[in-house]
Amino acid sequence: MFFHLCQWLFDSALGTSIRESTYVFPLIETLHVLAITVLVGTVAILDLRLWGAVLKGEKVTTVARQLLPLTWAGFALVLSSGVLLFIAEAAKLYSNPAFRLKLLFLVLVGLNPLVFHFTIYRSVDQWDEAVVTPARARLAGAVSLSLWAGIIVAGRAIAYFH
Amino acid sequence: MLATGLLVVGPLLAHHSFSAEFDGSKPIELKGTVTKIEWANPHVYFYVDVKTAQGKVENWGCETGNPGSLLRQGWKRDSLKIGDAVIVNGYRAKDGSKLADARQVTLPDGRRVWGGTPGDGGPGDPVKKGGA
Repeated sequence: MFFHLCQWLFDSALGTSIRESTYVFPLIETLHVLAITVLVGTVAILDLRLWGAVLKGEKVTTVARQLLPLTWAGFALVLSSGVLLFIAEAAKLYSNPAFRLKLLFLVLVGLNPLVFHFTIYRSVDQWDEAVVTPARARLAGAVSLSLWAGIIVAGRAIAYFH
Repeated sequence: MLATGLLVVGPLLAHHSFSAEFDGSKPIELKGTVTKIEWANPHVYFYVDVKTAQGKVENWGCETGNPGSLLRQGWKRDSLKIGDAVIVNGYRAKDGSKLADARQVTLPDGRRVWGGTPGDGGPGDPVKKGGA
């Protein structure tokens, strides 16, 4: 059923025109990579702050608040460009093991901040100025960094599978 | 440092390098009839029916560069049509499937065009000359 949806997207006018274009496809690919640098770059700064590796003198909430608009902007661009690239290649991506792994990592990386915000981040007032934050916050940071690294590697690996 | 960095970056600019998928020690010449063309990103593919010595017909996939790079190398979107007779000089896929990297394609009008992606590091790569 999912495959039929992928085939339909692949065959759609939008998917076909992107796939067969000379410049639009590489342009969207380029935007996708630039957006990844904004999204993952800002996420990484917060993750590293949780470990006390950067911006030690800044409150965690200050760092988070200043980065969040950029993170969301990067996310919006990475998602929209990614959806367009997916539509253009959907029928081929459906069975691509690297793409499937990337999707799994994306689900997990989306759950991570949800868990973080509804658990340890509720008590952020108590450790806002701590250089090294509580273990559960650091765990969230480590999981985030690992998953994003995995997503980028899996995304790059899509080109090496058929 | 910068120089080595540039040498590494060069091959990465290609979608994926020749050697990731194809074996430079297994050249192949395919003479046959075009059955399908996929003018698409990130790689243009076309398929050729080839008659074997035993008289059997095999359908071979031929991988080339992306549409933009093919256009710059003298291809046109309609350079190949279904039913056209072509000669493909390329290299076999490492996995042994009926897939080849089409390095040189002799079109029906006799023109020979380069099918690889410049910088993919494969045999005859124009970017590779004197480089890494």
